[in-house]
Amino acid sequence: MTPTDHHEPELGGDEALAAEYVLGVLPASERQEAARRIETDVDFARLVDRWEDSFSPLAAAYVPVEAPAAVKQAIDRRLFASSKTAPRASLWNSLALWRGLAAAAVVALALVTAWNMQPPAEEPAAPRLVASLESDETDVRYLAFYDETAQTIHLSHVAGARAPDQDFELWVIEGDEPPASLGVIATGERVDVHPEETLRTKLSAGAVLAVSLEPGGGSPTGQPTGPVVAVGDLRSI
Amino acid sequence: MRDRAAFDLLYRQTNAKLFGVCLRVLTDRAEAEEALQEVYVKIWTKADRYAVSDLSPISWLVAVARNHAIDRIRTRRVKQTGLDEAAEIADPTPGPEALAVAGDEGARVHHCLEELEADRAAAVRGAYLVGESYAELAERHGVPLNTMRTWLRRSLMKLKDCLER
Repeated sequence: MTPTDHHEPELGGDEALAAEYVLGVLPASERQEAARRIETDVDFARLVDRWEDSFSPLAAAYVPVEAPAAVKQAIDRRLFASSKTAPRASLWNSLALWRGLAAAAVVALALVTAWNMQPPAEEPAAPRLVASLESDETDVRYLAFYDETAQTIHLSHVAGARAPDQDFELWVIEGDEPPASLGVIATGERVDVHPEETLRTKLSAGAVLAVSLEPGGGSPTGQPTGPVVAVGDLRSI
Repeated sequence: MRDRAAFDLLYRQTNAKLFGVCLRVLTDRAEAEEALQEVYVKIWTKADRYAVSDLSPISWLVAVARNHAIDRIRTRRVKQTGLDEAAEIADPTPGPEALAVAGDEGARVHHCLEELEADRAAAVRGAYLVGESYAELAERHGVPLNTMRTWLRRSLMKLKDCLER
């Protein structure tokens, strides 16, 4: 680092504390103090949220690693071992929370807010279809969200990488018909796919979405040539 | 039980990302597994905090995991100070500068980090991803702690200006 001029403005006050807390550079005692303020000071909590939000794209660099099954078992023991559930558990029955965090709304988890859409409660009754694409044989996982109004499939890449010279291709399968290609899935955490009209009809009918592993550039035959690495049913929410 | 099923589904969909966060910050598998347990216990019991947060669900979950992992590493390192492990502290694992930045390249924060000098942007990224403290950053860049703090706060000022532009 080069020492530059001394008149550059520094971030100060609560704004600096919030940013430093989010980055994680503070020593333990100052972190604890900041954590206390978050609990008691709404304005400060909002500053922290804003920095969390600004920096959150950096979290894309965290490589997902499936945790060993023992971890979930240990969590279950801690939370659900006694017949008495955790004191705050009832909050999980809150509808707002469900929409934000849980259930078929886990799809909403990555998608609904991720695309800055309004929560379902405030939306007109536009049809929305979601699918969790996964397979027991692979670690590939996508969440798919079909917005009929925007005629767009939003894909959120949850886990599983493709080899450098291979591509994932998205397919829609309706009934016994052969799969129809929705094209190669671009790399990235969030990808939008714009299906053509005939395929949109299939999607609206609640078809199956599948992801196959193909040579770079996609299937040369127009039908899946590699293994299906993730599959899921489109369902309305 | 409806809420438990929801929790199971949430766990299934998000554990890999959050475990990735814990592993990266803590660098020790056993400790990361323990931290991940605590993170989901926290998520279960503090779900009401989410309701008042403006963050997207996945950002909120990552924030809970990151902050918990950083709290752990911070208290761990305080305990270790003065011990032989001090050598290890002074030599943080692979330079954060070398970290590949994956995904979401178009995000505003990436653009704004590019407006900073390369080494300062690297310090911000390194702090965020592996949870380096001011003391560790100062050590790695060979400057006094107060200088490091000044540099970082200047970077944060520029970032804030850029993010709000």
